[in-house]
Amino acid sequence: MTITTRPLALTINGKAFGPVDVPEGLMMLDFLHEYAGLTGSRFGCGIGVCHACVVILDGEHGSEEVRACITGAHFFNGRRIRTVEGHATYDDQGNVVSVSPIQQKFLEHYSFQCGYCTPGFVNGATVLVERLKRAPVARDQVEATIATALDPHICRCTGYVRYYEAVKDVVLATPGCVKGGA
Amino acid sequence: MKTLRTLLTLGAGLAAATLAGCGGHGAGAQAGAANATPAQIARGKYLATAADCVACHTAQGGAPFAGGVPLKTDFGTIHGTNITPDPDTGIGRWSSDEFYTALTAGKAPRGHLYPAMPYTSYRAMPRADSDAIYAYLMHVPAVRQANVENDLHFPYNLRFGLTFWNMLFLKDSLPASSKGQSAEWRQGRYLTSVLGHCYECHTPRGKLGQLDLDRPLAGFALTRWYSSDITPAGLAARGWTAPDLQAFLKTGVAPQGSAFGDMYEVVHLSTRHLQDADLKAMTTYLLGEPAAAPAQARPVAVAAADQGRVEAGRRMYLNVCAGCHAVDGAGRPHTAVAMRGNTSVREANAHNLIVSILDGLPEQKLGGLENMQPMPGFAQRMNDADVAALVNYLRVTWGGLPADVTPDRVAALRHP
Repeated sequence: MTITTRPLALTINGKAFGPVDVPEGLMMLDFLHEYAGLTGSRFGCGIGVCHACVVILDGEHGSEEVRACITGAHFFNGRRIRTVEGHATYDDQGNVVSVSPIQQKFLEHYSFQCGYCTPGFVNGATVLVERLKRAPVARDQVEATIATALDPHICRCTGYVRYYEAVKDVVLATPGCVKGGA
Repeated sequence: MKTLRTLLTLGAGLAAATLAGCGGHGAGAQAGAANATPAQIARGKYLATAADCVACHTAQGGAPFAGGVPLKTDFGTIHGTNITPDPDTGIGRWSSDEFYTALTAGKAPRGHLYPAMPYTSYRAMPRADSDAIYAYLMHVPAVRQANVENDLHFPYNLRFGLTFWNMLFLKDSLPASSKGQSAEWRQGRYLTSVLGHCYECHTPRGKLGQLDLDRPLAGFALTRWYSSDITPAGLAARGWTAPDLQAFLKTGVAPQGSAFGDMYEVVHLSTRHLQDADLKAMTTYLLGEPAAAPAQARPVAVAAADQGRVEAGRRMYLNVCAGCHAVDGAGRPHTAVAMRGNTSVREANAHNLIVSILDGLPEQKLGGLENMQPMPGFAQRMNDADVAALVNYLRVTWGGLPADVTPDRVAALRHP
């Protein structure tokens, strides 16, 4: 059996990647792991249910979540994505200088234990905050908005409360996410 | 005429609405039911399950048989009625004679039923079975719950027209969809064409909402979904065998796919509860005697002019479908159905393939390990040409069908 390949070029975390020849039908998660050397995105259920594999797709209408385990790599040809590796800032040696507000609050709230679902939560919460900057909600809708947005993300350790509390901290502290200010 | 058709067909459920509050009828109506034996009541329960009464008469989260199920039509919304023995809001004052007449002639004590109540199918029900269902219903807990007023637009809210409709279209029996002689085939015919009222959705309808009895079970889109061609020829063309069909009715899952849409409800509420012998009888009837040999789907050669579009469809499949349905179309066990050999892919009428891609499907819990995961809809992400290309790729690759679905066909099926 011969494997047919097609070239793939995209922008990952602000840097151009490719073109590289990639087998047709390869899922994005495998591409990130095996071709881009980015192993932070997690393979969980493999059927698009747990959302541990979520990456951020940056389109003309803003950012959105895409499940990398069930989306073909070539779907992203010519597109821009962010992975969990793209949130922190690094120095020249590749050491982390600072983490993103979402990541920081997850640490402060001890939001995760085993951490397997965390890359998906970081990306999902980041997309939510970016969406709220474009379309803010009333203060009394914040909790429900967070619960709805992150509901598809499955965590088996901490029971979600610490994740949701952390995201609420970020939403309330980020200008423009709440109508009339927090 | 589509509106009238929809009205007449879906309106039937609402017909039962008149049943409520018919005080004064049949004093001592439950006398017969009071004499019912436990065996008769048990048989009535089984028959009511085979007739899927709860589909229209039990609201989600509501009391059994207390009505309130909304049936949305182009003509307004009608509601299944309370058929518990409550004397004022249910059918507690009905006699078994009146019940039999409602079931088989569409006439309730207070007036005509709309043919959404499938009396056109129940017409051939023996009196003994009607009495057993009556005995069972008279022994379910009475629930005092007023029927919801139907909200039909003029002139569909006028029931007198049903007199003429019944004169024209109410037949004493429905024509067989297959050939057969055995007792099993006859039992299957009763379960399928009378109790299960499969004809109501699966048979094409004419301009006045009447069943096209020249084409029994040949397939029809009564709701958002297309009720498949389940004639012997139609089933064989899509690779159905008797064991697969029986497994489908029992579990909702078969190599040809899983039950979804309206049929998911049918399996969930009715067929999975039926005895194996009855399910076998239904498959014997549906496939006929002898059963037609199931056809294999062979890849179809694509005309040069279509190759570009089909290739575009293939790439879409790899990008957004293959993660669950697999590159080779094998699907994932217990999770996502196979495209290879799939009954909707192989159906000449691409309706369900198009609608499932546009709308997506909710999770279907089918018992045991079988949990079909939700499928996202692509109506917002794909234009008509994209969906047509994807559908055509599926048809030529695994359907054994031509790449003849046009973007216009997709546009016509986009959700209103």
